[in-house]
Amino acid sequence: MSARWWPDTILRAAALLAPPGDRGRWLAEWRSELWYIPRGGQARFCLGAFRDAVEVRRLDWRATPRLAAPLNCLTFLALLGIASFCVVAGLSGPLEKYATLWHLNPRRFPAGCGLTLAFSCVLLPVIRLATPRAPSQDPPRPWASKLRAAMFLTLKILLVQPILLCGFVLFLIVGQAAPVATQLALLALWIGVLRWVLDDQQNRCPECQRLLGGPVRIGVASRTFLEWYGGESSCSEGHGLLQTPDLSASYCRSGQWLRLGNSWHELFPAASKGRHS
Amino acid sequence: MADAQKLTHTSAMILHAVAAGHIYGYTVMEATGLASGTVYPALRRLERDQLIRSQWERQSIADAEQRPPRKYYKLTRAGDTAVEETRRRYPLLAQLASRAEVEQQ
Repeated sequence: MSARWWPDTILRAAALLAPPGDRGRWLAEWRSELWYIPRGGQARFCLGAFRDAVEVRRLDWRATPRLAAPLNCLTFLALLGIASFCVVAGLSGPLEKYATLWHLNPRRFPAGCGLTLAFSCVLLPVIRLATPRAPSQDPPRPWASKLRAAMFLTLKILLVQPILLCGFVLFLIVGQAAPVATQLALLALWIGVLRWVLDDQQNRCPECQRLLGGPVRIGVASRTFLEWYGGESSCSEGHGLLQTPDLSASYCRSGQWLRLGNSWHELFPAASKGRHS
Repeated sequence: MADAQKLTHTSAMILHAVAAGHIYGYTVMEATGLASGTVYPALRRLERDQLIRSQWERQSIADAEQRPPRKYYKLTRAGDTAVEETRRRYPLLAQLASRAEVEQQ
C-alpha cells in the first residue's frame, strides 16, 4: 500500500466539507500541492485542508444569492413565518399575563396578522414616498409580467406579517422595562421590514422577478462632470439592466430599467441554456 | 474589493510574500512560517477581494518536469496598491520583507 494513503484519506475527508460543485477542483489543488511537501510533514499539511474546505464553503455560501429566485424568496419567508408562529405559540404562557391588555394569544394569530397588515398598509405608502423609486417612464410591459410582479409583491407583504406580529409580541413582553425605547424599536423593525420588501422588489427583474446580480461600476465621480455614473446590475436571464445613479440629477433621479432585446441573450448563459433546453 | 486598511497582519504578510515572488501556496507557507490552514484560506480571501489572482500552470510544463501542475498566484493592480498601503500600516512587516529580499539577493 502506498505511503500516501493517509494524507489522501485526510484530504478526501476534508473534501466532504467543500461545496459539491467545487469539490473536484478543490481536491486537485490540494493533491497537487501535497506532491511538493516532504513526506514527514504531509499529514500535518493536510490537516489544514479542513479549515480551507470550510472557508471555500463559506465563500460559496456568501457568493450565491440564495433568495434570487422568487420561489426561493417566498419559501424562505414562509419558513420564517412558521418559525414566528412557533415563537408566538411558545410564548403563550408569558402572553397570558398581558392578555387583558392586548387580547392576543396564538389562537388569534390570524386576527393579529390582519391587524399588522392593516398597520403595514398605512405605513407602506409613506415608506414608498420616502424612498427613491424606479422611474415612471419605464417602457410598457405586458400585463402578465405586471400581474406577476404585483402578485409577488403582495405575497411578500402577506408573508412578512407573521414576522412582524412575532416582533410585536416580543417587544410587548420586553417593553415592560422600557416602553418608549421598545415602541421606537418596534417602529424601526416595522419600517425596516417593509423597506426591505420594497427594496427587494426594486432590485428584481420586472420580467421574471429574479434578483439582479453582477453589479458593475460605471464612471468615477471625481472624473465625471455632468455625466451619468453609478452602478449597473443585470438579470441573469438577460431581460435587462438596472442602472442606479450614485448622484441624483434632474435628468436621472432614480434607477432606470433598460430592457434588452433577444439579441443580447447570447451573453447570458442562463438565458441561452433555457432557450436551448 | 477589500479595503487595504481592513487587511489583517496575517493577510498583509501573505500579500507581501506573494509580492516578493512566493507564488505557490506551499512557498508562501515556507516564507511566512504560517500553517496550511491559515495560508490557503487567506489566499482565497485575497483572491475574492481581487488583490491576487490565481492561475493553473500549463499541463505541458508540468508534464515536461514530470510533476502535477501547480496553481500560482499573482498580485493584481489593486494588490500592488494594497501592498504599498500595508507597508505604511505595518512598518515592521515592511522592514522584514525588505530584509528578506536583501538576503535573497
